[in-house]
Amino acid sequence: MLVAGMMSAGVLTGVAGLVVGTSSAVGARAIAARTISLNESGHLRRTSSSGLKLNEQGSASGTIYGKIYIHLDVVSPNRVTAEVNIYPNGGSLTGFGSASYRVNGGTASFSGTMSINRGTGSYAHAHGSGLSFSGTIQRLSGSVSVHLSGRMST
Amino acid sequence: MSRIRAVTAALFVCCCLPATAGAAQTVTLHTSFSPDRLGASTTIGFGFQITNPNGSLPAPLTSLSLHLPAGIDYVTTTLGLAICQPANLLARGLGGCSPNSRLGYGSAFVEVPFGQGSGHEIPEIQALMGPPHNGNIVVLFYANGQEPVYAQLVFQGELVSGSNALGGDLNAAIPLIPSVPGGAPVSIVSVESTIGPSHLTYYKHVHGKKVAFHPKGVSVPLSCPREGFTFSATFGFSDGTSAVANSVVPCPPRRR
Repeated sequence: MLVAGMMSAGVLTGVAGLVVGTSSAVGARAIAARTISLNESGHLRRTSSSGLKLNEQGSASGTIYGKIYIHLDVVSPNRVTAEVNIYPNGGSLTGFGSASYRVNGGTASFSGTMSINRGTGSYAHAHGSGLSFSGTIQRLSGSVSVHLSGRMST
Repeated sequence: MSRIRAVTAALFVCCCLPATAGAAQTVTLHTSFSPDRLGASTTIGFGFQITNPNGSLPAPLTSLSLHLPAGIDYVTTTLGLAICQPANLLARGLGGCSPNSRLGYGSAFVEVPFGQGSGHEIPEIQALMGPPHNGNIVVLFYANGQEPVYAQLVFQGELVSGSNALGGDLNAAIPLIPSVPGGAPVSIVSVESTIGPSHLTYYKHVHGKKVAFHPKGVSVPLSCPREGFTFSATFGFSDGTSAVANSVVPCPPRRR
């Protein structure tokens, strides 16, 4: 389940969040040169909705662990956009995605790509694009399972 | 007794005839929201009447494309939580599909090409969620006619989104309904139907118990255009003609 690859640094340290350590400038520069292979899963429940905007909250696990928030916006009957925020220890990551959307009975699924645009703390320099972004929505309960994978630089 | 069992495999995508082609049939369309309140979960009512201005029987209807107003939200509804397989529907009727696949219901009046003057009701038309096609929602229409028109048939409409805005088109190809075995098809003269939770009961399991609930319907847009919510429909007929009809649901009164 947990996959952490330090692609360019060549140092496998397990959970990416632990690599960042303290907020020293030296640490930040070291991390900036690295590429992390993300493989995240999240399980979320709906906290609110407004029209076609669905707000979900849950926990992420995989390469990094932490709370995850997703704001899904159904922009057309077959397309959604999403803002994803993950809060691991020592920072946060924010990504934006766009995905096709399909209803199939009690579930709806989405599949597309995501970019990681910004971060804070240990992930202040995080960026990545073309990450795979997919998931399933339980239409009755509103709960969501999401999967995010791909490479991210920090 | 003959029973018609037909499934249309091909989906009608668009009416290729110009809207002005021919004038053999005229159609009136009427639509409604219930409740009629901005942003509310609602049931869409729609119906149409087909007449032939020269007084003769209308040509059989072969296609229908219903254009929904922009902003109608049928994405976050909980209608259609189960998929109904057309084969099960044909084999076992409504009992072949989960109650959670039901989307609406209605009725139709048809006339046979002999003994004109007395319409015959097909009292039961059910709308159900079918297997998606090309990622689009598919609505199955199940007509269960008894005497004098024995017709049990399933045809399907595909909900195609036109642009980024919500709304879209429900496109359906309608099979011909023989009046008698091998006989000329009947003419549909009127249809009334709903899409929405009104009079529908769904079921879910809570702590091992089956609990009834009402699904959330499609949502009326949060704002209303000045002219109201405009539906339009294009009807195709077996004689090659087509007709277009519009219907406007006026903006609901402002709430105080």
